Amino acid sequence: MKFLKSGLAVAMAAFMGIAASQAVAADAKFADNLRVVIGSKSTGGDTYQNSAIVAQALGEKLGINVKVDAVGSSAAFKALARISNGSTIMIFHDQSYLGYLYGVKGYFDIFDDFIVGPTIAINPGNAYLVPKSSPYKTIEDIIQACAKDTKIRVAIQPGGVSEIGYSALKNAIKLRYPGKEGNLVAVNTGSQSDKNQLLFDGQADLIQGSVQANEQYTQLPAEDQKAMRFVWLTAREETIKQTKPEGMGSTTQAHLLDFVSPKVSVTLDGKQDFTFDKEFFFLYNKKMDPALIEVLDKALGEIYAEGKIQEVQKNSFFIPNFKPSAEASAYLKDKMEKYEGIIKSIH
Amino acid sequence: MEFISYLTPMFFALVGFGVVVGIIFGAIPGMTATMAVAVCLPMTYGLDLTNGLALLLGLYVGGISGGLVPAVLLNIPGTPSSITTTFDGYPMTQKGEGERALKTGITSSLFGGLFSAIVLFFFAPSLADVAIKFSYVEKFLIILFALTVIASLSRNLLLGIFSGVLGVWFSLIGSYDISSGGNGEYRLMTDAMVPYLESGFSLLPVLIGLFGLGTILQEAQKGIKEEVGKGKKLELNGGTSFSLSVFKGQIVNLIRSSGLGTFVGMLPGVGGSAASVLAYTQQKNFSKHPEKLGKGAPEGVIASESSNNGLTGGALIPLLSLGIPGDSTTAVLIGAFTLQGIQLGPLFIGNNLDTWNTMMVALVFANLVMFVVMFFAIRTIVKVITIPKYLLYPGIIMMCVVGAYAINFGIMFDVWTLLFFGLFGFLGQKVGLEVAPFIIGFILGKQAEVYFVKSLESFGTLTIFFTKSPIAMVLWVLILISVVFSIYGMIKQKKNNNNKEA
Repeated sequence: MKFLKSGLAVAMAAFMGIAASQAVAADAKFADNLRVVIGSKSTGGDTYQNSAIVAQALGEKLGINVKVDAVGSSAAFKALARISNGSTIMIFHDQSYLGYLYGVKGYFDIFDDFIVGPTIAINPGNAYLVPKSSPYKTIEDIIQACAKDTKIRVAIQPGGVSEIGYSALKNAIKLRYPGKEGNLVAVNTGSQSDKNQLLFDGQADLIQGSVQANEQYTQLPAEDQKAMRFVWLTAREETIKQTKPEGMGSTTQAHLLDFVSPKVSVTLDGKQDFTFDKEFFFLYNKKMDPALIEVLDKALGEIYAEGKIQEVQKNSFFIPNFKPSAEASAYLKDKMEKYEGIIKSIH
Repeated sequence: MEFISYLTPMFFALVGFGVVVGIIFGAIPGMTATMAVAVCLPMTYGLDLTNGLALLLGLYVGGISGGLVPAVLLNIPGTPSSITTTFDGYPMTQKGEGERALKTGITSSLFGGLFSAIVLFFFAPSLADVAIKFSYVEKFLIILFALTVIASLSRNLLLGIFSGVLGVWFSLIGSYDISSGGNGEYRLMTDAMVPYLESGFSLLPVLIGLFGLGTILQEAQKGIKEEVGKGKKLELNGGTSFSLSVFKGQIVNLIRSSGLGTFVGMLPGVGGSAASVLAYTQQKNFSKHPEKLGKGAPEGVIASESSNNGLTGGALIPLLSLGIPGDSTTAVLIGAFTLQGIQLGPLFIGNNLDTWNTMMVALVFANLVMFVVMFFAIRTIVKVITIPKYLLYPGIIMMCVVGAYAINFGIMFDVWTLLFFGLFGFLGQKVGLEVAPFIIGFILGKQAEVYFVKSLESFGTLTIFFTKSPIAMVLWVLILISVVFSIYGMIKQKKNNNNKEA
């Protein structure tokens, strides 16, 4: 009888607990205004563009105002760390953990300090370019030049997305021609404009750029000082295959595929090629109510299930890539560990 | 001519609306053209590209132009590029020529805006090819050229140069940002200051603090007795009234200043403030009466305003011909294109002739609307100075504080920056600090550092600054001429003063 009584009490308590948590989930609701801070200060860049698309859809779905503020990574992390009630959330991309891996001041381990939320899209455009008149026509030419002790200068913005391809290329040279990786030299610079300028001035042999920003330069005649040539896109083949067949500008999807693995090989470990998709995802305050996170996961799930947002994203050369919080967090953690290995191997 | 079908009443209404909102943003201390465009960017989601751009270009032109109103009437530059407007605009107001100063400024703005629109329309692609000849070295020399203004602006050469260098020093506080290709290391501060100053002091709170709050504190020190007791207040039209004759003998000034504005605008990364500073220096160097500049000479307002509106067309040159923004406002404009899926780059104009033509119509129309709206609203706007200062200044302080808080989306430290620099400007002037050279040093310091360091990193030798290209050599000659003119002007003025005293 005693056993029955205590069993009943446990069952009752469990029931009440579940009921209470379900009630919280059902009651969890965002306030009328949701602020999305982003890790970029630019309202002309891909982070803002992507965030604006998702914010608009979320606002309509949840019936609230969702405002994107381009505050930059430092201010965004601070705001996110300060506000735990769910009124401020963040959207950023792989820079958020690459900055930490490269030891950039103002970056932390996002997996320790924040909650990593759902992924929403990929920008497949991360690219490397040479002048059209360059003797190096492919990334293999560049690797071979380094192997023959020719210095190759690569213009990048240090400490993140712009650098990871350079690090991977250095790693690949180290694996294939040990001791020759020092011939690949980074020229640290800032904006895309500065990187282009270094190429025009002959102060860089290779620059990091993007399909979106540089495609038109690849259409210029070779005698034009500004003419460039793609030699490598870091995106996965599957990612590029999801772009529209017409690709970007005058470069079709089929042509873009000529610059990704397996056609262009930069080895990761001697067995498989290095690839990098720039992915956008949500970040939350560590103490944010899990029920609110669930609300966002559910709302985004429904938005992506409806299928309209994919069209908008693809029109802006983004690849839709929704993964709910738990799946996204595990996936991004794996991704971070993979790149950590590369960075450690060349430093 | 298919683009004519895009020119609907809605199109023109949006340009007009943009201009009016832009002028309001530009005229409120602490709000800028960049903010106006950024705030209204989401409004363009529901519009097509042509109408969206119509609105944004209206905001851009209005925002840049509106800055002259507080610069002239209150000695507070509404936007960073109207700093040099305060040098002569405010003294004109003090002489009772506020309306004349504003009308001179607005007419010059119209000239500068239309000049740059014409240059943009006819020469954009070829000028973009010229712009890419300016590497780190040449950009550093342009900034150095702009810094020579410090010599000609100083009342006391030594204190002026000291103030300028102090401004440069303040601009370097914070990290050497990795987004400029730096190492991200913090400098010139203690660890405790890192959470506040990792990105350094924001420009706008410093600017409004020094000019706005500094001026208000000086006025406050005088007290309100004088104003209330004697009923003395600034007259609306006490001096010479405006007529087009103010431009007599100023055609060269107008063309040179508009040209400099357009030219600096098309160099990405050099920034708008450098344009008006350069134009103002050159006018002072070439003026028949350089001693009058800084004391209420209309030619100073003409140089400053024609150059900062010349910037509008100039900054669009690299945007539309290279896909690279020429200044912070055009960087926001990129958003309008990318959100509509339009690719910017060297082929943009050829691939999008209709968009290009409608943009040109919007730009010209925005300048005309700006002129009409401001010219006829002046009679009302200028009445601001008749408001007793003890009522006006608290309102301005409130706007300054709100503007400073909002500029980086709600950072309280920016408000403290405003107050600190207000006090710094007020107390500094008592010990001889010169505000104008300080702020010019502050604005140009960071860019000068980046371009200097990057030049050395790229070429590895100091001699590159002299030998990089014929452009570099020409710039050195201009820098030397500017310095020599400034010193010569100062010696001449001293002699004149001595003669007068004798």
